[in-house]
Amino acid sequence: MISFELSDEQKMVRDTVAGFAGNEVRPAARASDETGVIPFELLSKAWDLGLVRGCLPENVGGYGDPRIAVTGAIVAEELAYGDLSFAVHALAPRLLAFPVLEMGTEEQQHRCLSPLAGDQFVAATAALMEPYFDFDPVEMRTTVLRSGGDYVITGVKCCVPLAMESETLLTYVSASTKDGLSPVEAFLVPRNAEGVRISEREKHMGLKAVATYEVLFEHCRVTSENRLGGERGINFARLLSESRVAMSAMAVGVARAAFEYARDYAKERKAFGVPIATKQAIAFMLADMAIEIDAMRLLTWEAASWLDKGLDALKESSQARNYAASAALTVADNAVQVLGGHGYIREHPVEMWLRNARLFGVIEGVAIV
Amino acid sequence: MKILVPIKRVPDPATTIRVLPDGSGIATDNIKWVINPFDEIALEEALRIKERQGAGDVVLVSIGQQSWQEQLRTGLAMGADRAILVKAEQPVDTFAVARILAKIVADEKPELVIIGKQAIDDDSNQVGQILAELLGWPQATFASKIEIADGRCTVIREADGGLETVAFTLPAVITTDLRLNEPRYASLPGIMKARKKPLKEIAVDTLGLDLHPRVKIKAMKAPQKRQAGRKLSSVQELVQALHTEAKVI
Repeated sequence: MISFELSDEQKMVRDTVAGFAGNEVRPAARASDETGVIPFELLSKAWDLGLVRGCLPENVGGYGDPRIAVTGAIVAEELAYGDLSFAVHALAPRLLAFPVLEMGTEEQQHRCLSPLAGDQFVAATAALMEPYFDFDPVEMRTTVLRSGGDYVITGVKCCVPLAMESETLLTYVSASTKDGLSPVEAFLVPRNAEGVRISEREKHMGLKAVATYEVLFEHCRVTSENRLGGERGINFARLLSESRVAMSAMAVGVARAAFEYARDYAKERKAFGVPIATKQAIAFMLADMAIEIDAMRLLTWEAASWLDKGLDALKESSQARNYAASAALTVADNAVQVLGGHGYIREHPVEMWLRNARLFGVIEGVAIV
Repeated sequence: MKILVPIKRVPDPATTIRVLPDGSGIATDNIKWVINPFDEIALEEALRIKERQGAGDVVLVSIGQQSWQEQLRTGLAMGADRAILVKAEQPVDTFAVARILAKIVADEKPELVIIGKQAIDDDSNQVGQILAELLGWPQATFASKIEIADGRCTVIREADGGLETVAFTLPAVITTDLRLNEPRYASLPGIMKARKKPLKEIAVDTLGLDLHPRVKIKAMKAPQKRQAGRKLSSVQELVQALHTEAKVI
């Protein structure tokens, strides 16, 4: 059976996060984009919603709520509808929390999740992307080698959000089966470990309010208890799928923001005595944008629902992400077009959303849904 | 302290309201329903009083159809402890609502009732006052600040000419104004927990009350569209227009 009906809880989650994103996040988005800083009070308010703490187990101080990928997609869409930068920043702690929650050993859960179960926002992050044009998450150039009982990590990561303020960098690396490891492993690297060097903050086209960094690992030695999942290792395909669902959901949020703004503008703005929305050239464009958004969301939710069933969703999540990446860009671009000259100036937010929407085609995030 | 917070389900203030062509009511399709914003402020205040006192029981009550439990669940997600839905298929007027609430108060015996000063749908601004009268309790309407200590309550209320401070002993009825507080968002864990909190349903006809309506809605119509203003080039012209067209001077 296929159902598109959300549960009562999911509707309530959607309405709550939508209210927060609309009333609090959106009004702060432009200033955050200009200054590169997200107000801490706003992060605190989002933290109070339990976005991270809710799913953590009760024995580390969380609320033990079930983790549902479809609900995660709803949250990601609504927050990104408010502001993509804010969504990425507020959800970044999930980059560490969720993989540890899902695949970490009991000791790792206690060590890494307890600090995230407090009353105040705590930064946490993961390092996946690398600064190479042929970056492929299953063939990364950052490597790990066994050395005695320890592991030694060497390589460069980029676009690591909040790296400077996070205690632990969950670092994804290529490993060798000769060492008895899977092709991709993840390590809990303390930020101040010897051999970790964090560069200057990166400067982006969009997503300007999120501080991201290049991180250099120079023969960084970590002990065996920092291998995520211990001897079991990780299910990287699943983490990648979760990440792609999250990115797709955020793309839906950005696209919807742009579409709704353009639609409302077109109903108000008059040319030749009538609202421009009544002109077919505009109306068709708006209709196509609405269709794209629903299509993006359906692909995203489909992939999410496979994850919720515990099934492999690598194909579905990759399709969702690929589709969302190009559709979000098209929708945001069309939104600028509907506003015409006004769309290009900073008085309106659509140019910011166009810059933000470009992210989805180039980023390979990690699990935050 | 036990606090009763009556809440009403109303259309989202951001929704565009359309009157039905036959004038019998408003079109309810595609309307998003929310807790009346003033009642949400009342709930927030009740939760803050409970948090300040470190203990207490915040009970929600609503009077309406089965679907109204959605708003009760939202209130539970914000932090209320339990909820009562008085099921009434027919609409009830303010006097009937007050009588039902008086009955609930008699059963629940709260020390305080906090309710929105008015609902944003019909803007009656009557229920809190009638309820206080039926109970014979003190009332403080349009509260913008509430302080409670040793069974005594001090309320700053927004009167027409400025702020008025009133003090009285509990139990009492307080109605809330806009500036009393800023309601919290329900948290995700709160939403998950809300499902497990008790929600009691009572059929309205089991209460044995006379609820026949004193107020009848004869017809509804949308307000006339306001005409756009126009710019005048001189004071003389303005005076002329006020005199001959608006006929106000």
